[in-house]
Amino acid sequence: MAIRVDPENSETGALFDMADLDGQHVLEIGCGDGRLTWRYADKAARVTAIDPVAKQIALARENMPHPLRDRIEFKDIGFEDFAAASAPSAFDIVILSWSLC
Amino acid sequence: MVHALEEIRRLLKHAGALIDIHPVAVSSPVEIHQKGRIDLVGHLSVRSWCEDYQQADNALAEIAQRGLFTAESERVFDSLTHYPSVAEMRISLKESIAKFARDAQSAGEGIPDVEALAARADERMQAAASGAELIVRERTHISRLRPT
Repeated sequence: MAIRVDPENSETGALFDMADLDGQHVLEIGCGDGRLTWRYADKAARVTAIDPVAKQIALARENMPHPLRDRIEFKDIGFEDFAAASAPSAFDIVILSWSLC
Repeated sequence: MVHALEEIRRLLKHAGALIDIHPVAVSSPVEIHQKGRIDLVGHLSVRSWCEDYQQADNALAEIAQRGLFTAESERVFDSLTHYPSVAEMRISLKESIAKFARDAQSAGEGIPDVEALAARADERMQAAASGAELIVRERTHISRLRPT
């Protein structure tokens, strides 16, 4: 059996209480291996998920559920570089998933 | 951190929202769950992690104080990680400490705690009934902020 992180879905429950993701363009900063991304992406119109650790992004791409492939774009990039290359007012929701600290 | 939050504000639409999720700066109980009962093994406390979480709280407070964002809603919940064995908990926690440590000194600080917790958990799990689960409980803070 593998390590199971939040099988109770407490995190997604709290996230859905905080934000209506329906039809929104979401930026997730610090997505890691996509652990949280999978759990909410079906609600959003589009998700851009970034992480500076290439190995984590490779895992996220590899394990991405097929139905979410058109909806999520994983990018192996640090936030500073991503922000510098991004237009203003591009996102409806930004999620900092354990990445501000 | 504050600069990153300023950049996030620039990337957000005016009516958008920032959702921040990060652990609360307290120690994390390590528990054994069996037959509806919870036995406390001990607490995992990594000083450098708690300092990082506190800095995140401070950064959010600063951007609110500067009028860049308004905090609209917040709550705390428990995020549980279930480990299939003591050995996997030991390896995973050590990897996390190494991965998120700022330097070699802070990387080394949490290891003895993990070893002591793992030794206690090992004793308890051996005495526990089959189906007992080893769980680390993290208090986690989530907040919604609006750009102003």
